[in-house]
Amino acid sequence: MTSVDTPLELSSGNGSTNRPFGVFARPTGGSGWRSWFTTVDHKKIGIMYGAAALAFFIIGGLEALLIRAQLWAPRGTLLSADQYNQVFTMHGTTMIFLVVMPLGAAFANYLMPLQIGARDVAFPRINAFSFWAFLAGGLFINSSWFLGGGADGGWFMYAPNSTVTFSPSNGIDFWNMGLLITGIASLTGAVNLIVTVLNMRAPGMTMMKMPVFTWMTLVTQFLLLFAIPVLTSAQFLLLFDRNFDAAFFDVSKGGQPLLWEHLFWIFGHPEVYLMILPAFGLVSDILPVFSRKPIFGYTFIVFSGVAIGFMGWGVWAHHMFVSGIGPVSVLVFSLATMFIAVPTGVKILNWTATMVGGKISLTAPMLFCIGLITMFTIGGLSGVTHSVAPADTQQTDTYYIVAHFHYVLFGGAFFGFMGGLYYYWPKVFGYLLNETLGKVNFWVMFVGFNLTFGPMHILGLQGMSRRIYTYDAGYGFEFWNKVATIGSFILAGSIALFIFNIFYSKVKAKSLPNPGPDPWDSRTLEWMIPSPAPEYNYDPIPTVTRLDDFWYRKYGETEDGRLVRIAATEDVTQSAEGEHNVHLPSPSYWPLVAAIGLPIVGYGLIYTWWLCLVGGLITAGALYAWALEPADDPDAGHGSGHDDHPVAGSAPEAELVDASADASADASADAGAGTEGDGTTEREVETVG
Amino acid sequence: MKRFRSTAARIAIVASLALFVVLWVSLVVAWVIGGSGRFPLTTLEPQGPFSTLIDNLVIPVFIIAGVVFVGVLGAIFFIVMKYRVKGDPELDTAPMPRQTHGHTAAEITWTAIPAAILAVVGVLTAITILDLAAEEPDSVQVEVFGQQWWWGFRYDVDNDGSFTSDSDVETSTELVIPVGRPVQLSVTSNDVIHSFWIPALNGKRDAVPGMVSPWKIQADEPGVYRGQCTEFCGLSHANMRMLVRAIPAADFDRWIADQQKPAITPLSAQARAGLSEFNNNCASCHLVDGVNNEQLAENPAALVAGIAPNLTHLMSRGTFAGSIFNLHYPNPDGNDQPFGATCTMQTLRDCGDPTDIGLAGNPDNPLYRPALEAWLLNAPAVKPMAPDQGRGMPNLGLTQAQVNDLVAYLETLK
Repeated sequence: MTSVDTPLELSSGNGSTNRPFGVFARPTGGSGWRSWFTTVDHKKIGIMYGAAALAFFIIGGLEALLIRAQLWAPRGTLLSADQYNQVFTMHGTTMIFLVVMPLGAAFANYLMPLQIGARDVAFPRINAFSFWAFLAGGLFINSSWFLGGGADGGWFMYAPNSTVTFSPSNGIDFWNMGLLITGIASLTGAVNLIVTVLNMRAPGMTMMKMPVFTWMTLVTQFLLLFAIPVLTSAQFLLLFDRNFDAAFFDVSKGGQPLLWEHLFWIFGHPEVYLMILPAFGLVSDILPVFSRKPIFGYTFIVFSGVAIGFMGWGVWAHHMFVSGIGPVSVLVFSLATMFIAVPTGVKILNWTATMVGGKISLTAPMLFCIGLITMFTIGGLSGVTHSVAPADTQQTDTYYIVAHFHYVLFGGAFFGFMGGLYYYWPKVFGYLLNETLGKVNFWVMFVGFNLTFGPMHILGLQGMSRRIYTYDAGYGFEFWNKVATIGSFILAGSIALFIFNIFYSKVKAKSLPNPGPDPWDSRTLEWMIPSPAPEYNYDPIPTVTRLDDFWYRKYGETEDGRLVRIAATEDVTQSAEGEHNVHLPSPSYWPLVAAIGLPIVGYGLIYTWWLCLVGGLITAGALYAWALEPADDPDAGHGSGHDDHPVAGSAPEAELVDASADASADASADAGAGTEGDGTTEREVETVG
Repeated sequence: MKRFRSTAARIAIVASLALFVVLWVSLVVAWVIGGSGRFPLTTLEPQGPFSTLIDNLVIPVFIIAGVVFVGVLGAIFFIVMKYRVKGDPELDTAPMPRQTHGHTAAEITWTAIPAAILAVVGVLTAITILDLAAEEPDSVQVEVFGQQWWWGFRYDVDNDGSFTSDSDVETSTELVIPVGRPVQLSVTSNDVIHSFWIPALNGKRDAVPGMVSPWKIQADEPGVYRGQCTEFCGLSHANMRMLVRAIPAADFDRWIADQQKPAITPLSAQARAGLSEFNNNCASCHLVDGVNNEQLAENPAALVAGIAPNLTHLMSRGTFAGSIFNLHYPNPDGNDQPFGATCTMQTLRDCGDPTDIGLAGNPDNPLYRPALEAWLLNAPAVKPMAPDQGRGMPNLGLTQAQVNDLVAYLETLK
């Protein structure tokens, strides 16, 4: 590590301490409930993403149950037309922007730095800001329920139905401003995670030695980076139309409604892939563990994911086959959509081949992964039938589509995330979820899911439209709607079972030993550190020589592909015992404060302009404070066992030099000089957001 | 106990898988059986050449998808059953499996085969897209406009390219077409995006404001073909329906000739009283040709979409209010008590069901007074609308006596 002799320090005048430059002291203390508000630890932020996503999942799930209860029989009276429109709009918005996307962010945040052997993400404070901005946006959107009702234009919010003439309530303003805020969160998060993957991998970990989940995170974040700005620009047009009397979508003044459709789906289709790819990554890492075989065709799995990422940009107009874009456009997008099925099929066949000849343990995480492969196959096949554009003119906007994307996003993405939750729970929380309950959880979810969404295929083909709050007797929709509603309550039961399992297993775990670093006999690096993962992740940072490096520290492979145990797991894992002298990024108040200003600007745009000023000042002030706080505080936590640091003045000389050197290294290479360097495992990878 | 638990678990798993299989088999059976008349909006029973074209394309795709579905899921099930660790994994001592990292030939094979299948499907799709986009010679020209929450139709009777010349006709909610002749639709919208969809005759086409999109339908047999707006269009999207009535060519010519006539002047005293109610309460939105053309042109109500349904030949339609209520319906019980005060959309069962689709769409049936009276007494109570924002019919606050007069007048609009 290069050490700079003139650290970024100002003499404080009294000459007794050497504090880094900065106006505001940084918060201290790495534990206790307060620490969660100031943390910049990627693991705590990942946990908060997950917890927030599951809380929003319960809200979105209750909205789904209202929808299903309303459709139980013809002429349901549970909800009025207006309420129903709000509920299905908020259900879609919540599930996509506040559940599936942040679940991907939760796993990316928690896991990806561990998988690449990093101590944190490249910009820890920006990471905290991303989370708080996401939470602020999510709460802001949902606050509309208490302030005159939710948005009522559908999650796709087609103009001009979303303009003031057709939706004069504030619901759509909440939707619009809220998603602009979560968009800021996604963008900052995307930049952060991309930089982290590209720059902070452990020594020796080349791109083609990265775990598949890390690869899929990289692809996902690139999709976000380019997709979110398109949505944001569309939303700004809508904002100007609704709040400042512009006319981007007002035909009488020369506006063009199709502009919104194009912009929305240029965002919206990559969005679909960025929701599913993290789950694909999880499955690709979990399947080999419980098959006791390496992933089949790693290169093909990775590059089919990359191919999906690229091709995902060329298929958006398949959402618009009936919008009147002309036969040539329809033809082009129809063919492009068909061929995106090829890389997706490659993935499914590779996963299947991974299991062939393996030694399959049907644990709860494995069951959910197999669930993903099978249910996603169904969703993929119905997707191929939509790509046949003439057939899509019959299917689109019917329940057949609802069935399709729930098989993709629930049967695909969410089953994958459930598998990920069961698999990584011990690493995150230090106790295993109960296996028996987990298996019951899977089977109940499997049955409930299929009963809910399977019948929607036939309902759609029999002509039931989407987004209708009522249907009349005589159309023949009664039977399958009843089946779907029963299924949805079974599905809700499976979620309740999962939540019960969390608390049940936590109580039971008190009398059980710690599961140890590697309860599943896993392959990737994160399983060589103690459970739960210590604050500093790795000490020392491992040097990677091949894909599944941790596995090959335990096992050797003979010429004919047989496995030989070469080391006991205890000998190759890291221990939490002893002193770990690791410098970590200091906590900060300002990401939270900066995020709090954003929804205040939103309320200001809806109610009264001076609130915008207040919110803007809070955010801008927080950003200045952020810039002006010490780059790193030598008094701050050093990882476990090192929190009770003596005051700076009496700290050992060597450590002070270390800390200042770190601060200067940060300043010169904020993007993490991590991957370069001497490759010694003692090297410290320090980061400042 | 342990054995009992493992037996119970096995039964539960087999039951879950069996339920999955039963569910999907029944879905496929439902697909194969199709509509058999019980599903008025089904996409599985095409009744015209264009919907048949789509059906012929999609059936092989469904079959291919079904084969892949069974193949992949069956393979996964077989693999999991064959290679799973049986019994207690803690006690398992079987050796670790052979470590295979991949197989390039296999990868190329299973990339190429789906690509080849999709290429074939792609060619067939391309042909169908172009066929469906081709303009039909000797077709009836109709402008279809959607607005919250009903459909209007203008016929270019004189074939001059305009839908509003003197001899052209305008109607709403029900599109009357001649059997066996293609109908070329110019689909547009007066407010937000809607989607015109008669599943038995063709797929759907969005009605986008500011755009005119071509689409076509044709019915091979006389009959009533139902449709539903399928692009979410606000509050009463669910209540925005329409139907196509296909009639023999000679009847169609007669129908056009009837539609071209202006309204007749009513004879009975009550109907004349109803005409003045119409002029006082309805004439700033609805047109009755020959009655309020000038009044409507000079002093129109501030409607977002600009117009309300043309009522000149109201009684030639079988349904009204976005085709959700029957205007004509056999009323065997003689149950023509007014509803609206006691009967709403939600309690229609107690009042005879004016939306019963089995008998709808036939203007030869007697007038179904309960539905029409309820509508006139308080329209937003029986169909959610936003009249205070200029979108939909308001509650006019009419008395029962006024409604009776008005119905007597509307009955003359044949």
